[in-house]
Amino acid sequence: MKELLRDLGLNVRIFFQGAYLSYLALFAWIRPPHYIATKVVGPVFYMIFFVLMGAYVAGRNDPSFYVIGNAMQTAALSGVFGVSMSIDGDRWGGTLIYLFGSPANRLALFLGRAFMHILDGVFGVIIALGWGLLIFGLDLSQTHLPALALTILITVFSTAGMGLMLGCLGLITRNVMLVNNTIFFLLFVFSGANVEIGSLPGWAQAVSSIIPLTRGIAAARLLIGGESLAAVGPLLWGEFLVGAAYAAIGFLMFRQFEIIAIRRGTLEAF
Amino acid sequence: MGAEAIPDVHGHAGRPPSSCRPIVHCPFVAFYEVCFNFRMNTIEVQDLRRVYNASIGAIRRSRKEIVAVDGISFHIEQGELFGLLGPNGVGKTTTVKMLTTMLIPTSGRIRILGLDVVKDAKKLRPRIGFIFGGERGLYWRLSGVDNLRYFGSLYHLDPDATRKRIPKLLEMVGLSDRGEEKVEGYSRGMKQRLHIARALLHDPEVLFLDEPTLGLDPVGARDLRVIIRNLQAENKTILLTTHYMFEADALCQRIAVINKGKIVAEGSPAQLKSIVSDLSVIEVEIFGGVDDRLPALRALPAVDALSIENREQKQVLLIQSPAGAEAVSTILKLLDGVRVGKVAVREPTLEDAYIRLVEGEA
Repeated sequence: MKELLRDLGLNVRIFFQGAYLSYLALFAWIRPPHYIATKVVGPVFYMIFFVLMGAYVAGRNDPSFYVIGNAMQTAALSGVFGVSMSIDGDRWGGTLIYLFGSPANRLALFLGRAFMHILDGVFGVIIALGWGLLIFGLDLSQTHLPALALTILITVFSTAGMGLMLGCLGLITRNVMLVNNTIFFLLFVFSGANVEIGSLPGWAQAVSSIIPLTRGIAAARLLIGGESLAAVGPLLWGEFLVGAAYAAIGFLMFRQFEIIAIRRGTLEAF
Repeated sequence: MGAEAIPDVHGHAGRPPSSCRPIVHCPFVAFYEVCFNFRMNTIEVQDLRRVYNASIGAIRRSRKEIVAVDGISFHIEQGELFGLLGPNGVGKTTTVKMLTTMLIPTSGRIRILGLDVVKDAKKLRPRIGFIFGGERGLYWRLSGVDNLRYFGSLYHLDPDATRKRIPKLLEMVGLSDRGEEKVEGYSRGMKQRLHIARALLHDPEVLFLDEPTLGLDPVGARDLRVIIRNLQAENKTILLTTHYMFEADALCQRIAVINKGKIVAEGSPAQLKSIVSDLSVIEVEIFGGVDDRLPALRALPAVDALSIENREQKQVLLIQSPAGAEAVSTILKLLDGVRVGKVAVREPTLEDAYIRLVEGEA
């Protein structure tokens, strides 16, 4: 029992210290100009673009649909791009061989890479909602704010799950940013951020049901519209499970990569 | 860069340094070692072989087997500094990767500290440290101290002991005053020294240094050699790979010369030099091409081996000859019409032995 607790303590340390230091070390957008441009200013323009386009194409005069959708979509900036950078950055930096050569618990190491990006992603969504309040007069008067905070947290976690998986793709492909960009825009279309899920064809709705964000965006819209936490509970559970499934697939890929790379000698092959 | 004692990373008071512990934790073995001045092998490599599968072609792909390491065997005793010497691409790094659990051998066996590197990889990893040459392998946006803190956590080191150990290690590698700076501002030599500190964080019993001085300026390389010599003084078992002869000569107690995946010679630097002890080396500086004279030079009975080195504006013919100075006049006659600079006759070095070995002339 004492040994188990000791191991747990060591792994918790790998998780948190790894989370903090890998965030500083591997997140390419961490420099203030990049960070502000990508995570603070960029989402405003997405929001303005889709609100104006929505008003013109769909005749929607209430901008809240697009404001909430695009604010929640910013979760993917941290979840998809940030987390995958934290995984595949080790390969580009040549540190992967030293990670795999250490006795560190791989699960703590792997999941720790997502932690700071989840916090960062929550901050990003809050900033984006703040833009919505300021520019488009988003009404939060009916909103159960703690429930909205939980929704944001779960949604960012879910995108981070996908980011963990994509980061592992970065360990076996030459340019994961191409994949990340494709996924990011796929989320734009299929998550319901800018297009009603019900208006999508059947196959596209099937895609929506297995990607992160879809349920989180729906829950956020309901909560801001005045619904209770209980009413969005199933959506939040669904969102959490989607994220956990992607994280689990990512971890299996990470372990497989280590085993195959050590067997074939491809640890540093690009 | 002194060899001051560094605190135990696990925070255990009074624990003897790892280098003092017997390799096999058995009282009988320790007793045997003390009584009979016998040292167990820390590293044992038997018939090690590694074959890579490479694919060739973009559309019609075919597979090709490349034998990187071809049945090598050697052993390293506790506290020994052993050199693996060879030109680029002959299997040195592949061998180190297999020794450090980062690559599974195709066949053969490696035991380190009594553990099998494939079956017991998890048990072995906390007891070995390794660095691969070059600037990669560090987090450039973190400070030197943060890099060490991070790797310390990966090795499950006690946080308090790590905090005390990091300044000592930085002092040992001469980075005390730069530890708080980001690694991206470090020179190549500083990065290599930080690599050494990283590899020593968990006080490993065995160290693998793969071309640690590669690409360093002469001063940086000299500083690193001083650090390596100090590590040896701490009784660490070290395997060093290099293709710098003088480095192997200066540091290693024993050297294995590897060529095309096979060990072609093994022994102390003095023993390897004896391969060419019956020869002298004639160095002839020349300006301009001499390709047309080379066949005639090689055909001379007084010429055992001939190689050419480019040095700035000139070339130097390095001729290994049993006749020594007596062969100079014959050689110069054959170079008639070529602008010749200095001519010198010297004793052979380890490099001459190495050239003879890797060119397959021994």
